[in-house]
Amino acid sequence: MSLQSGALAASTEQVTQRPGGPTKAQMSEGKRAERNLGLLLCAPAAIIIVLVTAYPIGYAIWLSLQRYDLRFPAEQAFVGLSNYVTVLTSGYWWQAFGVTMLITVISVAIEFVLGLALALMMHRTLVARGLVRTVILIPYGIVTVVAAFSWQFAWTPDKGYLAALLPTGSAPLTDFGSALAIVIGAEVWKTTPFMALLLLAGLALVPDDLLKAAQVDGAGPWQRLTQIILPMMKPAILVALLFRTLDAFRVFDNIYILTQGSNGTGSVSMLGYDNLFKAFNLGIGSAISVLIFICVALLAVLFIKLFGAAAPGSEPSGRR
Amino acid sequence: MRGPVHPGRRRGRRRPLIAGACAVLAAAAIAGCSSGATGPPVLNVYGPADGAEQYSAAAKDCTAASGGRYSVVYQTLPKSADDQRLQLARRLVAGDSEVDIVGIDVTWTAEFAAAGWIEKLPEDVAAQVRQGTLDGPLQTATYQGALWAAPLNTNTQILWYRKDLSPTPPATWDEMISASERLHQQGLPSYIEVQGAQYEGLVVWFNTLLNSAGGQIVDEDGNVLLGRGDAAQKALSVMQRVAASPASDPSLSVNKENDGRLAMEAGTAAFQINYPFVYASIHTPPPDGGGGGTFIDPQGKPTSADTGRRVVDEFAWAPYPSVVPGQPAKPTIGGINLAVSTTGQHKDLAFAAIQCLRNRDNQLRNAVEGGVPPTLSDLYTDPSFQAKYPAWEAIKNSLDNASVRPLTPGYTSISIVLSDLLNPPAAIDPATAVPMLADEVQGAANSEGLVP
Amino acid sequence: MATTTGDPRTRVWWGVAGLVVVLYALVPVLWILSLSFKTTDTITDGNFIPRSWTLDNYAQIFSLDIFTSALVNSIGIAIISTVLAVVIGTMAAYAIARLDFPGKKVLVGVSLLIAMFPQISLVSPLFDIERAVGLFDTWPGLILPYITFALPLAIYTLSAFFREIPWELEKAAKMDGATPLQAFRSVIVPLAAPGVFTTAILVFIFCWNDFLFAISLTSTPRSQTATVAIANFTGASQFAEPTGSIAAAAVLLTIPIIIFVLLFQRRIVAGLTSGAVKG
Repeated sequence: MSLQSGALAASTEQVTQRPGGPTKAQMSEGKRAERNLGLLLCAPAAIIIVLVTAYPIGYAIWLSLQRYDLRFPAEQAFVGLSNYVTVLTSGYWWQAFGVTMLITVISVAIEFVLGLALALMMHRTLVARGLVRTVILIPYGIVTVVAAFSWQFAWTPDKGYLAALLPTGSAPLTDFGSALAIVIGAEVWKTTPFMALLLLAGLALVPDDLLKAAQVDGAGPWQRLTQIILPMMKPAILVALLFRTLDAFRVFDNIYILTQGSNGTGSVSMLGYDNLFKAFNLGIGSAISVLIFICVALLAVLFIKLFGAAAPGSEPSGRR
Repeated sequence: MRGPVHPGRRRGRRRPLIAGACAVLAAAAIAGCSSGATGPPVLNVYGPADGAEQYSAAAKDCTAASGGRYSVVYQTLPKSADDQRLQLARRLVAGDSEVDIVGIDVTWTAEFAAAGWIEKLPEDVAAQVRQGTLDGPLQTATYQGALWAAPLNTNTQILWYRKDLSPTPPATWDEMISASERLHQQGLPSYIEVQGAQYEGLVVWFNTLLNSAGGQIVDEDGNVLLGRGDAAQKALSVMQRVAASPASDPSLSVNKENDGRLAMEAGTAAFQINYPFVYASIHTPPPDGGGGGTFIDPQGKPTSADTGRRVVDEFAWAPYPSVVPGQPAKPTIGGINLAVSTTGQHKDLAFAAIQCLRNRDNQLRNAVEGGVPPTLSDLYTDPSFQAKYPAWEAIKNSLDNASVRPLTPGYTSISIVLSDLLNPPAAIDPATAVPMLADEVQGAANSEGLVP
Repeated sequence: MATTTGDPRTRVWWGVAGLVVVLYALVPVLWILSLSFKTTDTITDGNFIPRSWTLDNYAQIFSLDIFTSALVNSIGIAIISTVLAVVIGTMAAYAIARLDFPGKKVLVGVSLLIAMFPQISLVSPLFDIERAVGLFDTWPGLILPYITFALPLAIYTLSAFFREIPWELEKAAKMDGATPLQAFRSVIVPLAAPGVFTTAILVFIFCWNDFLFAISLTSTPRSQTATVAIANFTGASQFAEPTGSIAAAAVLLTIPIIIFVLLFQRRIVAGLTSGAVKG
């Protein structure tokens, strides 16, 4: 889920601008008490995080080095990296990887354009402003599985209002291209509002005076957008793109409901799930899990390196 | 540990939070527990959703017949076989002691046995089960020479056709394809409904065609025979031609059993390869069944206006079409086997219960009300059964020529790989596909490759 | 604010644009609503508006034990996870926003990692661990991962809110003679409550929405949530398609979301964007 992204920037800034901490030698009683309380308050969060993520991911790495198929319990053994070799030499992995990248790139690109348009519109409109801001939260909040069923029924021949618009005899969910387009459409529908809200918050930072001045100087709407608005929104745009990209890469629910991954439309998450729960192959399934984790980490690093480490809000703020 | 600075403020903040957390944790713990029951031991039978009504009735009868030794409760699993297997396997690997008896698809016997999820039948039980049970179904419950389950019902596909569109049923796939194309040219309903979606049903289709052409996917020792001879190529050619024909259903590549049934009941199909439940459906009025609704207009096309000629009245059945003219087809055998889980607590009672659940009366009810063919051979010669089960002869013939899907623990992986490679059927290249199929099946059989 | 002039023609265009957005957001929801009211024989007619209306689909799903138990599971698991995540998140966020202690950077960094974490990577180890320790297919078995994935959200949103609170007011109240507890209660709690509440809504939506964990870590009505139940619907009888039931259940799952959106629109937007672009 993409819920997290919004608030990130603000809190990381906290870290970067932490006031110079005192050294241990000069730490006063009060400071020590503060430190203890801080640790105490964070302990439950830290314990849960370690218990539910750090330990399992370590366990996943260990599992991924085993031959471990629940159907062949007697054959469990350490096999080194051979599961990784199997996955990385399999056409299924690369097919799923390609599909996932395709969905990620196309849906994030469309979401960005639509989201920007929506944000500009919400920023400027005088008509039904509250209504628009309210209804766009519905796609964001609606359960993905529910929305996916709505799209599935809509595109099912003889049943759906959208399928009825197509020439008779077409079955859009069964063809690789159109099925992928429907998956992307469902993703875009659901997450564009979120993108728009993040961009809208960024838009609020663009000073009107500047835009007015540019207008007086003869800058057209397009120039104002590309020369002033977008550069000033860069931090917001980067946060939005980073999180939507990582989120889109995990796509699972929509595909599970819409196509079940048939006709080669499965994502890497679907592939991992299927190998775990259809083949009960924990070794291979864990290897896929670890590879997905590495992909996401690489994507994040790539983003931050490519577009500047500033991405999640490290700009200083004088608060506190 | 607590510092002297602002103690009041911080303690005041913390206390209610901790109390709240404890209360919630306690609530979660209670909600996660369930209490035990008294009375005779309850045996939970987990089986498919289709036929649940009949199986529940059987469970009730067996509870009564046990004389208070046990009570049997039928717990319904999801509708699709994949989901059933998933749920069962997850419960069994998690050691769920509430699963006593499992109603498993015939293809899972080897897998469940090898994984240690089901118990081998004790010798005396096995001997009783073998008595009077048809050969094909027994074979599906056998793994490494031992009987692991008791066949509850079997299943086989036959050809269902519209006698107004095709007065004599096609005997071979080639005949059926040309008949369908002829109907299409005349603007009449022409679809051949068969299971073309990416799932087990597609593998059943392939397995039947392959066996009918003299081939086999994997032999009993786990050797992959798919690539031998030209049987696979013949089978693939039939599949490709059916799917790519201009007369075929455009959604063939996503159709499952029910879609085919619905299409034929809606009057758009001329032929369907399907299980005997078609018969039960057309004799059940809507909305529960498909018996009625659509009519045939004077041009032979489907209409919802009452013309007095109902589509379902034109349904007829015939043997599964051959691949090689003159050689009867070898339809893939399906059905449900009852097995005793290794995680249950009342295994002896469970062995007794499975014999009751599959006794003659219960099998008769499953056949008559649920449409599934019984596994006891003498039922087929019983006139009262024959009267209530008109398609019995075609079904019995199908069963006698049956082919069995590979009895190997890796079967599900084989099936997933095959259904992926064979879908969509229209895109198969019969000339080049066979070596790749054989290769992928080999990997899947040993659980060495990925499943898509 | 750079707004257009209020001349009628511009207003009409903005109105049209607004209408497009409203349709965009609502059509898929209305479609599933429409399906849920269709009768069995009209459900395949493809009409956007039902030709004949019925409540049968709703009656149907409530007659299924599987759905009512799933609904109870969904509500219970989501509420417990929300409460726990918000409580734990509040403690951590307070510490992060107000206190100086070692390891703060690490905690924030790790939370950031989890926010980006692909859930599927945790599914295989969690499945194996939970089945070994008996948490598989239990409420706590789902609540634990939900809390974990909700924590970054809770910590970030809350610490953003907490940093907005003028804590000096507390000191001022104490100077005016209030006890520390009074000062905390009458000054800080009212200021912090909206942030906590907003966070709770966002966390609830997250838990309510989850599908991957729910389908991987449950197997029975004991803990299966509604999203999974819908995906597993089988239809009333062997020959009935479950479209109507799925639609009705889908509508029920959407109702809480609609209520939240209608009542707390501003809060949700504030929570989602809090701090994202503060400069």
